[in-house]
This record gives sequence, structure tokens and C-alpha cells, in this order.
Amino acid sequence: MKNNFKFISELIKLRLSHIMTFRLGFFGPFFINTSYFLVQLFAFEAIYGHVDNIRGWGHGEILIFIGTFSLIDSINMVICFFGVISIPEKIQTGELDLYLTKPVNPLLRITFEKVNPGAIPLLIFSVYIIGYGVRESGMNLSCASVIEYLVMVLLMTILFYDMELLLRCFAFLVFSVNNLMKIENTAMDLCMKIPGIAFYGIYKLIFYCILPYGVIATLPAQALIGALSAKGLIFGAAIACIFTFIALSFWTYGVHRYESASS
Amino acid sequence: MKKYLEIAKAYMKAQLIWRPDAFADVIMAVEKILFAWLLWSILFEGKEQIAGLGFQAMISYYIVSSYLFQLEKSAEISQQMTGMLRNGTFSKYMVLPVQTQGYFVAMEAGKIAFSAGIGLLATVLWFYLFRIPFMLIANMKMLLCASFMVILGLLFMAELNYFLGILTLKFQEISTFLMIKDNFSAFVTGAVIPLALLPEWIIEGMRFLPFYYVTYLPSMLFIGKCEDEAITGLYVLSVWCIVFVVLNQITYEHYRIKYDGAGI
Repeated sequence: MKNNFKFISELIKLRLSHIMTFRLGFFGPFFINTSYFLVQLFAFEAIYGHVDNIRGWGHGEILIFIGTFSLIDSINMVICFFGVISIPEKIQTGELDLYLTKPVNPLLRITFEKVNPGAIPLLIFSVYIIGYGVRESGMNLSCASVIEYLVMVLLMTILFYDMELLLRCFAFLVFSVNNLMKIENTAMDLCMKIPGIAFYGIYKLIFYCILPYGVIATLPAQALIGALSAKGLIFGAAIACIFTFIALSFWTYGVHRYESASS
Repeated sequence: MKKYLEIAKAYMKAQLIWRPDAFADVIMAVEKILFAWLLWSILFEGKEQIAGLGFQAMISYYIVSSYLFQLEKSAEISQQMTGMLRNGTFSKYMVLPVQTQGYFVAMEAGKIAFSAGIGLLATVLWFYLFRIPFMLIANMKMLLCASFMVILGLLFMAELNYFLGILTLKFQEISTFLMIKDNFSAFVTGAVIPLALLPEWIIEGMRFLPFYYVTYLPSMLFIGKCEDEAITGLYVLSVWCIVFVVLNQITYEHYRIKYDGAGI
């Protein structure tokens, strides 16, 4: 464990010195993320300017929801996004060999090797949006609800990572995962616009249990506004554990199946 | 003209190599429509209309705009150009006895021609499956206006992406610009949400820009809305296309001397 932390810290140091060489590359993710965030915010304002509330959630609660989604997305961007998205290419080109033959956990290296501080300002924007949402909804935050919120954010960040990894591991089985990525993007776009509490029937099953993007910002937002039941809390922890298990198992299975550049 | 037609034909044939991919691409448009259905069925609860559109008109809009959005593949032009300019393989276009701008537009036309047919069939299928009564445009004039606007819109996007591609000669690394452009273009063309949802003063401003006429207005015209804006739209979009054709020519002539054929 101690070695892993030391390894991660070395990876981060190497990465930082690498991206400082290309200054535009350093600020690039900031501009890209900010533009994406602004587009989502405009779309949100355009849609919710015409709708008073969704299943009891008003403007303030929805702002907390969208801010939380953006927060989790930006944490993911800072830590592991750029590493995980390179998995399909590494599998197709055989570059994964270089990771498998090193005496460190290949997934650990892939996850942390492309840490990117360019998304940190987006993290700050997200916190600001959440704060604005809290003010807008006029609620008084308790210490317990903030702690509950932070725990849920942590769990949902792990779940987000699991989903990212799981979908990219399909590259071990098929030649191109482009269409899967399109499904991921569309599902995320949708779940960024509608809180999970609005889903019903088959949609609830899909976005809570199969592609659980629907819970990613909903559960933490519910925790912050004090609407998360004990059942919801257990569900959040359980779904994060189950998907972590599935993602890691799928990764292990994929690595066993991997036949270098010819796979 | 014959040369450009041959280029378009060659790229259309090349698309046949990737027909399962092109077919999957078209089919995937349904997921966008499905998600739009879900989003708006929730938002329309207890409401008859949002921004002047009823539920069926809203879904019709998404079906048509998804088709138009899926047709628009010009982002490939700037990506391809920037890649080739950087690694020095752009020379092969410079030595051809055609204008490079015309070459890329013809290439885009060939690619679009292939997917337009399959996409149209799929769009009709989605209307049938979603049981949306297709609101036919009342008169032939509007149908022609909307179709011509789609062609001009696609031409404009190809010109814009060609312009961004040329900028590689000046700035060397433009992938950040391209990603920012991709993020905004889906929104300002109306592919994310109908622009009718935006405040009136923003829509007023957008009417002077070309993006308003690329996906949003043709989609609205196809579902029988905004008919009074059709002719003005054609004029505005034509002006933008002409401006970009000239701008591209000048920019290319100005910067092409910086290219040394060995990559940047």
C-alpha cells in the first residue's frame, strides 16, 4: 500500500513536469471543460426557465444537482479521465504490453499516469454553483448533511470511474468501442439534465442499476438537501461496491484474454 | 466542376467500405431521440406547451434535428487538416490540380451523400415507431427553402472547419480550439435543445449568426414552424457562406507559404 502511494506520487510529479513543457496543453483542459460546463449551464437554464419544478425539486435543488454532477465529473477529469480513456487505444495498438510487463499494477498506473490539473478551476466553479443552489433553495445546512454529502460524492466518484473503466474494457472483446462511447455520452448528457428522482419504471431500472448515471449526482444532492433516506444511503454504497467489483473483474478477465497487438 | 464531382464520388464509394459503421451511426441517432422523449415527457408533465412547442412538435424537432446533426460531419475536415499539416502529409493536396478548399468541400459532399439516404429512411422509421404524426410542410416552397437551407448550412460548416484547419499553419496546435468549437457548435446550432427555449434577446442576436440556420431553423421549417424566417435565413446563410469562401481563399494563400512539407 505504502509503495503504491509512493508510486502514485512519482507518477503525478512526472506528469506535472511533462505538462508544464506544453503550456497550452496545461490550460487546454481548463478551456475545454469550461466551455462544456457553460454549454450545460446554458442548456439547463434554457430548459428550467420554462419549468417550475421537477417532482418537487425547485431551481435551487436542481442547481445543487447540476453542480454536483459537474463536481464529480471534474474530480474524475483531474485524477483519472485522461488515463482511462486511453485504454481502448492501448489495447488496439498493443501498447498495453508496456504496462503489463512492468512490476506495478497496470491499472493503477493507467489510472494515475495522466493526472490533469487543468480541470481544477472547473472544480471551483462547481462548488460555486452548489453554493448558489444552496442559497437559492434557502436551506440551512447541517454538519451531518455536509458529511453525508461528501461521503456520497466520494462513493459516486468511484462509481463514475467504474463505469468509465467498464465500458472501455469492452475493447478487450471488440475492435471498436466508439458506439459504446456514444451511448455513454448520451446517457451522461441526459442524466446531467434530469435528476434521478424524475425517472420511473424501466428508465429507473436502467439509470439506477444498469447504467447508473442517474444516481451519480442525485444521491449526493439528496444527501445535501436532507432528503436521502437510510435506504438510499445503503443503495448508494451497495451500487458503488457492486460496480467496483464488476469493473475490476472485467479488467482482470480482459487482461487474461489480451493477446498483445493482435487481440 | 467535373473534377470535384469525381472527388465526391470517390469519397462516397469509400464510405461503402465502412458501411456497417455508417449504418450503426444512423441507428445510434435513435438513442438521442429516445433520451429526448424521456426528458421531455418528464418536463411536459402537466403542461400543454413549452416555448410554443407541444410535446409531439418537440419530439418531431428532435427526430429531424438528430438527422441533420448526424449528416454534419465536417469536424473531420479540420481534424484531418491539422493532423496532415502537422505531420507534413498535406503536400498531397497541394499538388493536386484542384483548389484545396473545393477538394475538402467535395469530400464532405461525397460522405454526406452516402449517409443522407440511409439517414432519411431511418428518420421516417423513427417517426413511425414513435407514433409521431409527421407534420408535413403545407407548401412546396417551404420544403424547398428548408432543403436548400440544409445544403447551405452543411456548406457553411465545411467552410468553417476548413478555415479552422488552415489556422494550424499559424498556430500549429489547434486541437483545443477544435474541442471548444465542438462543445459550442452543438448548442448554438440547436442540436442540444431547440433554440426557441432561449430568451428572445439571445435568439434575436443569433439570427445574425449562421449557426441558427444550420440545424435549428431547417428543423423548425420541416415541422411547419417559423415559416416567416425562411427567406431571410437563406439570405443570411448565403452571405456567411460567401464570406467564408473568400476568407478561406485569402487565408490559405497567405499562410500556405509557411508550410514546408516536412511537418511542424
